[in-house]
Amino acid sequence: MRVLSKDFFNLRSLGPIIALLVVLVILPSIIPRFYIYILAVIFMTALLAMSLNMVVGHGGLFQFHHGAFYGVGAYTAALMLTKTSLPMWLGFVAGPFMAAFVGLLIGMFCVRLTKLYFGMLQISLGSLVWAIAFRWYSFTGGDDGIHGIPLPSLISSTKGAYYFGLILLILCVTVIYLIFKSPFGATLQAIRDNPERCEAIGINVRRHQLIAIVIATFFAGVAGVLFVVVEGSVFPDLLFWVFSLELFIMCLLGGWFTFAGPILGAAIMISLRTFVGIYTEYWTLILGIILILLIFFLPEGVWGYLLEKFGFQRKKLLEKEPDP
Amino acid sequence: MIKREKMTRKFSILGLVLLGCLLTVSLILLPGSAQARNIKVGVIDCYSGPAAVYGIDALNGFKLALSEINKKGVLGKKIEWTKRDTKFKVDLALNMAKELVMREDVDVIVGTINSGAAMAVSEAIAKKEKVPFITWISKSERITGEKGHRYVFSAGENTAMAGKAGGVALSKKPYVKYWIAGDDYEYGHAIANAAWRNLKAKKPDVKLIGESWWKPGEPDLTPYITAILAAKPDAVIFCTGGRSMTNIMKAVKATGMAKKIPIWIHTATDHAVLKPLGAGAPEGVMGTMDYHFYYPDIKANRDFVKKFRAAYGQAPGFPAFHGYITAYFIAEAYKKAGSVDKEKFVDALEGMKIASPVGEIEMRVCDHQVVLPMYLGVTKKAVGKNFVMSTDIVTLTGDQVMPTCDEIKKARGK
Amino acid sequence: MESGYTITFAALGSQFLVGLSRAMILFIVSSGMSLVLGVLRVPNVAHGSLYMIGAFAAFSISSLFGGGSTGFWLALVFAPLVVALISFVAERSLFRHLYEREHLMLLLFTFALMLILGDLVKMFWGADYRSIMAPEMFQGAVPIFGSPFPKYNLFLLGVGPLVAVLLWLFITKTKIGKISRAAAVDMEMVGAIGINVSWVFAFAFVLGCLLAGLGGALVSPTVSITLGMDHDIIMEAFLIVAIGGLGNMWGALVGSLIFGLTQSFGVLFWPQFAIVFPYAAVVIVLTWRPKGILKSVW
Repeated sequence: MRVLSKDFFNLRSLGPIIALLVVLVILPSIIPRFYIYILAVIFMTALLAMSLNMVVGHGGLFQFHHGAFYGVGAYTAALMLTKTSLPMWLGFVAGPFMAAFVGLLIGMFCVRLTKLYFGMLQISLGSLVWAIAFRWYSFTGGDDGIHGIPLPSLISSTKGAYYFGLILLILCVTVIYLIFKSPFGATLQAIRDNPERCEAIGINVRRHQLIAIVIATFFAGVAGVLFVVVEGSVFPDLLFWVFSLELFIMCLLGGWFTFAGPILGAAIMISLRTFVGIYTEYWTLILGIILILLIFFLPEGVWGYLLEKFGFQRKKLLEKEPDP
Repeated sequence: MIKREKMTRKFSILGLVLLGCLLTVSLILLPGSAQARNIKVGVIDCYSGPAAVYGIDALNGFKLALSEINKKGVLGKKIEWTKRDTKFKVDLALNMAKELVMREDVDVIVGTINSGAAMAVSEAIAKKEKVPFITWISKSERITGEKGHRYVFSAGENTAMAGKAGGVALSKKPYVKYWIAGDDYEYGHAIANAAWRNLKAKKPDVKLIGESWWKPGEPDLTPYITAILAAKPDAVIFCTGGRSMTNIMKAVKATGMAKKIPIWIHTATDHAVLKPLGAGAPEGVMGTMDYHFYYPDIKANRDFVKKFRAAYGQAPGFPAFHGYITAYFIAEAYKKAGSVDKEKFVDALEGMKIASPVGEIEMRVCDHQVVLPMYLGVTKKAVGKNFVMSTDIVTLTGDQVMPTCDEIKKARGK
Repeated sequence: MESGYTITFAALGSQFLVGLSRAMILFIVSSGMSLVLGVLRVPNVAHGSLYMIGAFAAFSISSLFGGGSTGFWLALVFAPLVVALISFVAERSLFRHLYEREHLMLLLFTFALMLILGDLVKMFWGADYRSIMAPEMFQGAVPIFGSPFPKYNLFLLGVGPLVAVLLWLFITKTKIGKISRAAAVDMEMVGAIGINVSWVFAFAFVLGCLLAGLGGALVSPTVSITLGMDHDIIMEAFLIVAIGGLGNMWGALVGSLIFGLTQSFGVLFWPQFAIVFPYAAVVIVLTWRPKGILKSVW
């Protein structure tokens, strides 16, 4: 599996990647405005799914409530922009750090547990954060949320948000990739594959997992800030567990053992709900059917399938995991 | 090694090809416009989940009105509509409203039952993109109050009106010790605040001895009722909406609460709540409502109900009424504006008066809120029918229940 | 705002009983989830949808028989069977082919199933609110501890323990029950001694879903039957199973009691913040006992 992702950024693949970037840069001057907006939404969701996959795919943790951190990042930025007169960039910086801080707090409780217990405790703690956002009317605006957040049009216009999102996505993906390739990333994947052995050779499993959670929640916070820029609103739905589960599904869908899979998963989910939603109100039914087809025919996720199809040696991609 | 590099390039190219496909498909999906087009209304509302029953009813009312309007046409055109299901999610509502404005190029947006979504759309689409937005059943008073602006209108009642109706009605009763309970979200709290503010203003000696709040949709409300009964208040104000209404009515019936303590609930007399309960609905509950298919018993209303029944096989609920008047507001505003222009449309809609099933109604200039009367009644088993309905109805006129324009100015000034 | 009332012993007693009866519904639903989790090792996200179908089916069956007492009793019997049938079809046609796969794929499948069932319910029953009446004998209230207590909740207090005992007998005394219990502990061993593991899975899955349907049918006289019921129950059931101990039937009972009682006492003592009690209870329990209160079968 490490083989699959090894060459994502090597010299040879740099060409196509640069070509892709050039296309993405000139795209907004060709396509209609709505598609620019949807691409910005995809960038944001892709970054979020990517950050989730750091702990799910690379770390093997059942991070069931990633949306909570995304919401914390978004709310922090939104509250600083609307309630204080501090400069805007400070709000943008504070969002990710606040998310990482909450990630650290919740993570400290959760890493003591494993697998499903980890997930359950995280859902509970995350839901407490949701309840605060939902209930604290004077501060967070309660279930109505905060709307019409003032932003300079340089980044809040459709094109501005697109480029802002694109730049953030490129930056973050590069950093995530570097982390993934670092010794820390390798250790994390080793822990995922065999925690007992890692423990035995003297690796502090919990500390590594906790650091991974903090980093992942930081990037979730970045995605949250991006959400504020793209939509100009925040509301408690962002922190609700259903959304977190959808994120989890994006990772599985794209291919959670691959590096770029979550990006594709996010793009598929957003496109499906947007474009199928135009034609029918039963789009969740269609989404469900597509999911089932994918489970049966593309078990490694869409990206995983593409990699394999194009000749990558299947390195026991989906060998049965050790039982939870 | 060489082989692997080849692969890498291959899959990178594949990525490009995929993106290309996505683009092509998207461009093909672009609606071909530019011909002499009709007036286009985009509907965003919730057609899934517990709130769907209201969304569908509102849309039915809207469709009925359009079928009447389009017989003659407006400015020589027809009004067509297209709908999107928001699933009660704010982010989806934003996605879809942007899609309607940017891709479908609609002239007006109407919807939704979700107040959070209504406010998000009001700010991000109506205000920013300058597209008129008419909410029909979302009830937050902030939409046209504190957060109101030039491009947002409300053709529905709101929490300030409902709360004031309740406060005014209760101030005439002898009760002193109150308990307030309700759904723990904006709607519940807003009604509670408005009701209590108005009650306290009219009758300063009332006391609030306790509050309880449950999560919206909480299935079993019996624990809350027994706790309230134990505190022995003189009267109870329940601030619930939607499906919690049925749950609270069932718990009130099962514990026999209505016989012991007077209760006021906004929308307790709503037929959508009472009908599924059949004869199992509690009697003696005070409720306020902005529309009944059986009241006011005037010709305009009887005609509307008859047409609605013929089209959809059931009586219209309050959402259908709001959908119906929304369509007429749109049609009349375009007639007055004389052209399909967003700015002229807004100017025309301000202060517009139209005939409706409940008599003439007005879109107030100062806050873009429709002026509607409220009907206060008590639930009672209908004679010869299998359901409970509102009786002894007292009409509270629009100026009795609406916040004044000065109050709106003050709220917006903050 | 000012507050001025005292909590009496009678109020405590009646809150206790109300919390207990709520716990019974939670137990029936979450024991089904626990069973599936124990044997198949997958959180069934579609469990809530099956609960919702149980309630809607109860409505259809009871109105088919005029909505009276007969209708209610028939609904109570047949609604869970309808749900069991649906889950059996889904299991045999699709789900069983995934047992060899990665476990998260099973989770993905149940998520897809939830999406599909949610929309199918809307297609089949529409969006209107539905309601059924409790049978004549369980309508109204009886005074207990000086405050009115709904008779139907008394009925629930009886049904809960009955289901618990039946389930216990079934799992400890019948052969298939024993096998699925063994399967929960060591699947390879069960396979090794020549038992068709796939059918054990099917049995556990269908029985679990049947319990979801039963919960839905039992709750239907006290609530409005609407779309979206699935989302309300599923998270509670998950958390109950987690604090009780994954896959442990008695753990589900303990978890349900904790949930039902913290909620009903919370309502009495601190009603403004009732919304956070269940989550707080889970955090406390899992911090104190990371593997749930009772022994997990995992």
